[in-house]
Amino acid sequence: MKIVIITAVFLGTFLFTGCGEKKDQPETYALVPPSVSNFWEICRKGGADAAVELGVEFEFVTPESITDQKVKVEDLLSKGVQGIAIAPGDPANQTGLINDVASRVPLVTVDTDAPESQRKVFIGIDNYEAGWLAGDLVREAAPEGGEVVIFIGNISQLNSRQRRQGLIDNLVGREKDSSRYDVPGEVVKGDRYSILDTLLDGVDAPKAKANAADALTKHQNLSVMVGLFDYNAGQILEELKQANKVGEIQIVSFDEHANTLAGIKEGSIYGTVVQNPYQYGYQAVKMLHRLSEGDHSAIPENGVIEIPARIIKKDHVEEFQRDLETKLAN
Amino acid sequence: MLTAHGIIKSFPGVMALKGVSLEVGRGEVVSLIGENGAGKSTLMKILSGIQNPDEGEVEMEGKSLSAASVTEAQTAGLALIHQELNLADNLSVGANIFLGREPCRFGWIDQKKIRQESAKYLSKVGLKVPPETLLSELSLGQQQLVEIAKALSTRAKIIIMDEPSSSLSQGEVEMLFEVIRELRKGGISVIYISHRLAEVQELSDRVVVFRDGENAGELGPEEMSHEAMVRLMVGRDVSQLYQRTAHDLGETALAVNGLRTQANPYEEVNLELRAGEIVGIAGLVGAGRSEVLEAIFGMTPAVAGKVHSELPKSPREAMAMGLAFVPEDRKAKGLILDLNVEQNTSLASLGENAKGPFVNRSHEVALCEEMTEALAIKTPGPWQKARFLSGGNQQKIILAKWLALSPSVLLLDEPTRGVDIGSKEEIYQLMEKFAREGMAILFVSSELEEIMGMADRVLVMREGRLNGALDRSQFSEQAIMDLATKTQS
Amino acid sequence: MKKFLGILVTLVLLYILTSIIGDNFLSAYNQEQLLKRTALYGLLAIGVSFVIITGGIDLSIGSVVCLVGCGVPWLITQHQWPPVMAVIAAFLVAMMIGLWHGFLITKVKLQPFVVTLCGLLMYRGATRGFTEDKTQGFGITHSELRELATGKLQLTEQFGLPVPFLLLLIAGAFAWIFLNKTVWGRYLFALGNNEEAARLSGIHTDRMVTLSYVICSSLAALGGLLFILDGNSAQPSDFGNFYELYAIAAAVLGGCSLRGGSGTVIGVVIGAAVMQVLKNMINLADWLKSHLEFLVVGGVLLVAVIADELVKRRVRK
Repeated sequence: MKIVIITAVFLGTFLFTGCGEKKDQPETYALVPPSVSNFWEICRKGGADAAVELGVEFEFVTPESITDQKVKVEDLLSKGVQGIAIAPGDPANQTGLINDVASRVPLVTVDTDAPESQRKVFIGIDNYEAGWLAGDLVREAAPEGGEVVIFIGNISQLNSRQRRQGLIDNLVGREKDSSRYDVPGEVVKGDRYSILDTLLDGVDAPKAKANAADALTKHQNLSVMVGLFDYNAGQILEELKQANKVGEIQIVSFDEHANTLAGIKEGSIYGTVVQNPYQYGYQAVKMLHRLSEGDHSAIPENGVIEIPARIIKKDHVEEFQRDLETKLAN
Repeated sequence: MLTAHGIIKSFPGVMALKGVSLEVGRGEVVSLIGENGAGKSTLMKILSGIQNPDEGEVEMEGKSLSAASVTEAQTAGLALIHQELNLADNLSVGANIFLGREPCRFGWIDQKKIRQESAKYLSKVGLKVPPETLLSELSLGQQQLVEIAKALSTRAKIIIMDEPSSSLSQGEVEMLFEVIRELRKGGISVIYISHRLAEVQELSDRVVVFRDGENAGELGPEEMSHEAMVRLMVGRDVSQLYQRTAHDLGETALAVNGLRTQANPYEEVNLELRAGEIVGIAGLVGAGRSEVLEAIFGMTPAVAGKVHSELPKSPREAMAMGLAFVPEDRKAKGLILDLNVEQNTSLASLGENAKGPFVNRSHEVALCEEMTEALAIKTPGPWQKARFLSGGNQQKIILAKWLALSPSVLLLDEPTRGVDIGSKEEIYQLMEKFAREGMAILFVSSELEEIMGMADRVLVMREGRLNGALDRSQFSEQAIMDLATKTQS
Repeated sequence: MKKFLGILVTLVLLYILTSIIGDNFLSAYNQEQLLKRTALYGLLAIGVSFVIITGGIDLSIGSVVCLVGCGVPWLITQHQWPPVMAVIAAFLVAMMIGLWHGFLITKVKLQPFVVTLCGLLMYRGATRGFTEDKTQGFGITHSELRELATGKLQLTEQFGLPVPFLLLLIAGAFAWIFLNKTVWGRYLFALGNNEEAARLSGIHTDRMVTLSYVICSSLAALGGLLFILDGNSAQPSDFGNFYELYAIAAAVLGGCSLRGGSGTVIGVVIGAAVMQVLKNMINLADWLKSHLEFLVVGGVLLVAVIADELVKRRVRK
């Protein structure tokens, strides 16, 4: 009896299924990053600016994990957005999800690509190449060579794994091959540089700081500490200051975290490899709008809009920062 | 000095007090007696502010205490000494006396003052130990005196003692009485609650009798005969309450050999019951009586020994031997309070009657109907949760649960505790009926009346040992108390 | 019926409320999502309600979800196990975990909270170890297997019942029969109410408690399997994080008392549905920011529990 009632209640509601029709309102485009950070804040700004220019709505949704990213995307579909930009945390396994979304609304990938999928466009850099660029910075910072430890949020995301791999491959002088993988914890030795360890912090800044401290205790002759997620270099710098080892050990950073820029300005961080997250967001919304209006002419032939990575060092950090501030201000 | 008038207090399922009254004068020793469940303890909790009455007035020296807290009652001059003492074993005697009221100097505990003051109160109760002694080094009787000293230190005018002698040896009881008489001389009143009618007779100026939450009567010094007290407590002649008929005994139904319980591993218990026999186990609180029943039933497996040919390691094994056990604390160990009458009744026999993995509902319904009728269980229906039944009916459900398995031996621990007089009579009749039908019954009781009324034979325990056995012809309160408190040569 | 009437009314009211304030709430796509998520969390909630009925708790559910969710694709894609074998292995491991919990709780006499808290840490740690912390998934392979979670029983052109929801109905029916019609179900309620009295009535309380943990871990494994088949991407570091708390919350909403001895399967499933409708409402209502999700869910849960307690208190008087 009870079950009949429950079932009736459930099934009864389905009679109304499909009744809700979308009301008339401006188009909404959404961007879903894989995690929360300053980097994605800048990206959000780019998207929001583009939306203002176009007179459309923009929604920026931050998931708690890769698994949650799927939930958030499904939620957006439930709400009925007209286009989604996604930075897939696990592109190999999210192909199905991306295809499912792409079959319903226009979809572009940013920051990390899912080349196997039916995404229309990818906007971003090649993380392997960017990692390689960070390798160049290390070579400049410590031309004599030495011991290197890598700090990173996780390596379960393809882009972070490739970024790390590009760095390692550059330092030990290998051929470029973005599918290579060195297990963290195993020492990778080249002629001049040896990568002693890769410490993961699960995108947890206090943990990142503790990792830096652990590395300082364990390895007495470090030459360079490389932080590959945006907050890493700042945390390393904090720890070096407390240990009075600033200058003794070089820091190479990735992305444009405020602490990183401050560190470069005062000379305690050698340099950083920056992407252009503002452009990711900006270009993504522009592209989604064109696609949703049926304009497919803007799709490049190879489906990739590359926004190159740059190296920022002390000489032009102030100029870079001013530019960033103006973008974020309005 | 103290008057309580028209006190009514009810708990879910029971009306514990139905309008009782009590008066106590200065320097008077009033004994309060009544069977288990008569409402003595409830009234004491109300007087000492632990609970407040639903209706009625409590006045102390003209001041109302009807809605008083424990502290307010204490300030007014009332002190309660619980049956289980409320002392901290790990603290000194002095610290215990001033626990929660430590005298302070500049925020530090004033140890010197504690020592001096405690010594004063200790001498008043005739306890010759230094205040620094750890409480755990004292005997139970001495600890009782510490409780009294503590009561005196709160400037108590009336001290309520709830069964103070239930775990004391004869010598300690004498010492306690000496102190009580001294208190009386000093103008301090005592409300003395006890089951030991001989003690009551010896000690009190006046006896107040409760029965089923009502005043059953009062007796002055001349009227305090044993018979008169029992008649008021029971409400009729004892011979009516305990109806036993002679019948032939059968084969040995329970043989316990060399049983050594975890509580008393150095004492061996041997006993034997024949089919149709009712045997009582008497003794002081803490003499190890319940432990013997629990070991026989495998609830707390014995260290060594045999029940019939083996040692039951779990209740399941004991059940397989035809044993059934009704524990003392029926709410904690006997019933599943939130299951209904039907489910409680069928619980023990559920597996036996199941159809495959499924509960045999028709059998369950029939069993409950049969038992409700056979044991005259008063319930609005089989769906009623056991929680909402009265103590007597709860006890009958536990009996019903076991009867469904037709056990050959029934172990009962305090079978009528917290049960009203009517149900008590019914339980006695059931015991008699089961025995006549050939069941062997072994029961523990703290009520001497009950033991002497129901048992064919009494085993008396003292400090974990069977200290002696008495046949019906040898029964007397004196004989049982002697065995319970004195070593036999 | 009266045991879960309160939560049923809550669900219906929330459902109506959300359909009014959320434009697309009644769209076929959204309803399918709602049913699927209710099913996934509902399976976990049914599992933990067995343990809660005995008066215990299982905090390791999320980690078992992680272990199975990462372990199955790991076995299949990295070690080329046949899918059937990998799934069987996952359930065997889950049952072993349940047995192990039961052993520690009933024989070593440890507290369920402590035992399963250690489990929470250990199973996730182990998973991160054997997967080397790498994200697990099936890529674009094994889509037949994934039908188990992504498939639908098409009712109309637009709307279909998700397969996990059918699995929930089946598991729920079994759980209901177990708890209400079998001797063991009765024993679980009895010992949850009063373990000592149940033991004194000749019930193998230790075995029954252990059984409840085995059921809980097995359903967590089923949940974990469906989660990974549906999501296709599991990070060992956070896959299934906090799922035990969602499951416990749904069970409590559905009328399980953490003191043990009470609970209904239907109530628990409705409880899981309430949580999902709530989340859906937060998503669809623009004025409710999605980062307030925990605040809203926690608040509603608290209100429901308080209301339940007050009602019970009135009934007792």
